[in-house]
Amino acid sequence: MSLTWFWRSGPLRHALTLIAVFAFGAFLLLPLWTLLLWAVATRWNFPGIVPQEFGLKWWSWVFQNSDVGKSAFWSLTTAPTVTLVSAVICLPAAYAFSRFEFPLKRLFYVALLASNAFPRIGLYIAIAAFFFQFGLIGTFWGVVLVQLIGTLVTMTWIPAAAFGAVPRELEEAARDAGASPLRVFFSVTLPIAMPGVIVALILTFLGSLDESQATLVVGAPGITTLPVLMYTLVDSYPEPVGAVFSVLLTIPSVLLLIVARRYLLAGYLAAGFKGG
Amino acid sequence: MMPPTAVLIFLVLLPAFEALKFSLGIVPADNVSYTSGLNLISTQSPTFKVFEQLFASPAFAQNIRLTLFVTFFSVLLLTALAYLLALYGRFGRGVRLRNVVRTLYLLPMFVPGIIAVYALITFYGDNGLLEALLNVFHISYQSPIRHEWGIVLGQVWTGIPFAVLLLSSGLDGISEEQIEAARDAGASFWTLLTRIILPLNVVPLLIVLTFTFIGVFGSFTVPYLLGPAAPQMLGVSMQMNFGAFRQPQVAVALAVFSFAVCALVGYIYVAATTRQNRGRI
Repeated sequence: MSLTWFWRSGPLRHALTLIAVFAFGAFLLLPLWTLLLWAVATRWNFPGIVPQEFGLKWWSWVFQNSDVGKSAFWSLTTAPTVTLVSAVICLPAAYAFSRFEFPLKRLFYVALLASNAFPRIGLYIAIAAFFFQFGLIGTFWGVVLVQLIGTLVTMTWIPAAAFGAVPRELEEAARDAGASPLRVFFSVTLPIAMPGVIVALILTFLGSLDESQATLVVGAPGITTLPVLMYTLVDSYPEPVGAVFSVLLTIPSVLLLIVARRYLLAGYLAAGFKGG
Repeated sequence: MMPPTAVLIFLVLLPAFEALKFSLGIVPADNVSYTSGLNLISTQSPTFKVFEQLFASPAFAQNIRLTLFVTFFSVLLLTALAYLLALYGRFGRGVRLRNVVRTLYLLPMFVPGIIAVYALITFYGDNGLLEALLNVFHISYQSPIRHEWGIVLGQVWTGIPFAVLLLSSGLDGISEEQIEAARDAGASFWTLLTRIILPLNVVPLLIVLTFTFIGVFGSFTVPYLLGPAAPQMLGVSMQMNFGAFRQPQVAVALAVFSFAVCALVGYIYVAATTRQNRGRI
């Protein structure tokens, strides 16, 4: 009898699958559940499995903290700037990539992928050392620049895949009807490719909003965004502060992803990593 | 093509080249952060002295051992778990349970990395919820947080969505007909997996393996907050040398070392990816 006999028994297999899914769910959800509980706790001593006292007093503490306000300002200025700059740099390239043949196309393709294959913190250290020469350390534009590196691949491949999926017949039909190339792009190509572009914009925005390592290395001490502030909060404040802060920081991601969920096809997300 | 290329040159090529020069003892005089660093080795012609000192230090050897340990087990566990999830998401019976699993494995993507790490600390850490739960059943508990397995835990938790997404996108390319035909011919699940599914999914698997390796090897946040104070993973040691210890040359030499290791692995990633997309570019 083979070792896999139980696998062929229907009910037993179903039960085992259920247990595995349940265990996986617990692995993923229980840490987040703990964090949520801490965010609404005022007293939670070991070994209680729920807080002894609930309350929102740490929320007002976080909202009144001036460091948090300053970090929120830097987060809400860097993330849109990074998204905008990245779009301006990458979207034309993405279109060119999906539509034209040009010299060194393959080299560019490999270079972009290779930039993804650098160990991140090493690259940030090298960039920080390099930025010292230009006085970019601890400045707004230094942070914007270093964050660009993480957005290039997403902002190029996802839109490139979306542009590539637009049927050429539609564009040609519009050209035949007398539309100018620009008109064709803005009335035919772009609207059809829009979901891909939106996904890329959202992922870039969230990536920038959640970025902590590059900003820590290049932005310190002048620019502290919200995720960077988290490094200090984890070590030197009571649990509820970090928990409240975490919930606040996760809200934008959850909101944006709910708004955009109909665009978030798995294919697009994976495309960012494997190049189309 | 010009703007992205300019960004790549300015943000990857030039810094990497400068880092290489600096780690070989050539210190540019106009960079105050370089010249004011501690334990600086400065020569006219390239020298391997910085690396020699580094490789001779016992702390470095311990850091490397920890880094390789964590990287190996993170890659192994993450890939195995992600493959199981991807297979289940594609071929599992029971539509409702499958949708639950699909929602679950995407979840970590919506949680910023540093928040995920904090959540893991509050649950798995000393006097955390897990210890409290086990305490109800009088089971003693040794927290992995601040030990090497704590880092592995963090890497697996945060790495799941992309690993599963990539592997699933490869599985989506396998048609139902192929599977059905093999099933009709009497193939067992194991035969299906090793003879049909794995061979058709080699490239995504390679990408996940190499990408996870590079990601874990060059990570900072997860080992910084979940790992021990000493030894440290390479990324943490780099940041410490660059910031607190004021030894930018050591930090940059560590960075160059990590580039060299990952270049080897990265070659597989780039080769696999270009091979997969050969017909399309």
